[in-house]
Amino acid sequence: MAALLLPATLLVLGLLVAPMAMLFRISLNRYDAAQMMQEALTAENYLRALADPYYREVMATTLGVALSSTLLALLIGFPAAYWLARMESRWKSLATILTLFPLLVGNVVRAAGWMALLGRDGAINAALIGTGLIAEPLPMLYTTGAVIAGILAVVAPYMILTLAAVIEAIPRSVEEAAANLGAGPLTSFRRVVLPLALPGVAAGCVLVFILCMNAYATPVLLGGPQFKMMAPAVYDQFVRGTNWPFGAALAFLLLIVTLVLTILGSTILAGRSRSR
Amino acid sequence: MRLTRRSTFAVALTAGLPGFASAQQSGQVVVGTWGGDYGDLLASNIDKPILAPKGVEVVQDVGPQDPRKTKLIAERASRRGSMDVCCLSDVDMFTLAQQGVFEPIEEGRIPNLARAIPSLKRPYSAPHIYSAKVILYNPAKVTAAPQSYADLWDPKYRGRVGLVDILHLQNMEAASLAAGGTEHDYEPGKRKLMELRSLDAKVYPSNEALAAALKSEEVWLTIMWLARGFMWKKSGIPVEHAVPSEGATSICFEMSVPKNARNRTGAMAYLDAALDARAQTAFADRMGYAPTVTDAQLPPELARQISLTQEQQAKLRTPDYEYIAKNQVALIDFWNKEFKR
Repeated sequence: MAALLLPATLLVLGLLVAPMAMLFRISLNRYDAAQMMQEALTAENYLRALADPYYREVMATTLGVALSSTLLALLIGFPAAYWLARMESRWKSLATILTLFPLLVGNVVRAAGWMALLGRDGAINAALIGTGLIAEPLPMLYTTGAVIAGILAVVAPYMILTLAAVIEAIPRSVEEAAANLGAGPLTSFRRVVLPLALPGVAAGCVLVFILCMNAYATPVLLGGPQFKMMAPAVYDQFVRGTNWPFGAALAFLLLIVTLVLTILGSTILAGRSRSR
Repeated sequence: MRLTRRSTFAVALTAGLPGFASAQQSGQVVVGTWGGDYGDLLASNIDKPILAPKGVEVVQDVGPQDPRKTKLIAERASRRGSMDVCCLSDVDMFTLAQQGVFEPIEEGRIPNLARAIPSLKRPYSAPHIYSAKVILYNPAKVTAAPQSYADLWDPKYRGRVGLVDILHLQNMEAASLAAGGTEHDYEPGKRKLMELRSLDAKVYPSNEALAAALKSEEVWLTIMWLARGFMWKKSGIPVEHAVPSEGATSICFEMSVPKNARNRTGAMAYLDAALDARAQTAFADRMGYAPTVTDAQLPPELARQISLTQEQQAKLRTPDYEYIAKNQVALIDFWNKEFKR
């Protein structure tokens, strides 16, 4: 049976572990303007990134955007997932496909759509000015709000489908029993559905959080040049600054922070669902 | 990358038979280039009319400049690279040439190079097209044409100056010149840029975003290549250009042959064809870039719009590539961490 794992293991080793190991090695090298990098074994790139208030701020922005997008996706996604899971009509499969629909469009194309909506001459400003509600266009594009809205549109389907799969597995009779014992809809949700759905909440949040932490196209296109998240900062170092060692160190810091928070988050949620 | 199965096979075949491939000018040449107008013009003015009859098949590896640069760096230790010809702008070409990734240019192998403008020639590349950095302004809003970069700091243009993020080095150089400095040291420019920042200058992520802001009259003034200004004007964006009294700075788009190119002979033939007067005129007409060879004749009206006068040409500055290469990391840090913050 173990042989069945072989192709996948080889693929992961060759295409993920090997490049990551190379990247890690590069992160320990020293930048050199003339030669691009010098072989070294130094932690100075990591120390510099950690000591620099600019990168701490970029990391804080990234965490802020990722956490708020994940929370919003959960708040928006849960009711939709519940509705989808409990749906019995023949339109259910169509509704599932419609949930997936946003994923059929690439991130860049979707961001372009948001730009057309939110821009100074965009649809929303044009409508507001047209109806006389405002005289000057509102600045909406190149704001944190625009980035979160854009990311939310990307990650919402992941959250909804993950939650729906778990909610579907909760027997309806459990909710009926709660109602029978006098629980109102809110109590039933708080004491019965939510605790049973916690593994789904954990899985959905982890998936969405990771996607948000690594967002590239959306922050670049909707956040504008002043807005910085980690993935665009890594790209900047590699490509514009040709500083591969420092870019690699930033990439690993992003990976470590994401990994630690993911493990922490899912352990806490898993602990909660077990203790109930 | 426009590689068909057949062409991939052909690459594999010629790569496997280096003696056969390098003995002649024919075969396949992979050109790492921008797409859009630039790629189209290369195909219709160089690949098809000049090289196809010689038996050279050109395959374009289309993409933005930054990934191409990164690819060259990543491949520099490989024996066989993926490109035969690499197109880059002058600053990046210098940075990469410093790392020894390009074949030296021998005039003997590129006869047209004899007619290239001497100040644009480099030992590691052939100059393909060039333009100058100028001020673009909206003539309806900025009634007196700006004379110098320093005019952009006039408080009456508060919030109306837009800069594009990708030209961070060029913006810093212009600021240094506005501050009375030179192209050899951007330190005075840093202080000057912080002043512009307090005058609410806007930064746009791409040329397209800046073009949209100029069109909607959100901003009235910018620092840009004359050629791009020419294209924007043609497409109905309300801009005129002013050559700064501090002296315009040249931008040259260059072509080089990586040392690990599979078809170096074909690549040199490609560089020669790119300097052909007819091909050069086509780039001027559609993209507004001035020819780099002296035998390309432009119609007088076009020449007036895209070229500098003799007096302006005499003041033309060349970027200090060495300074930029040495200070690139610090300069981008300033731009990101202080100016854009």
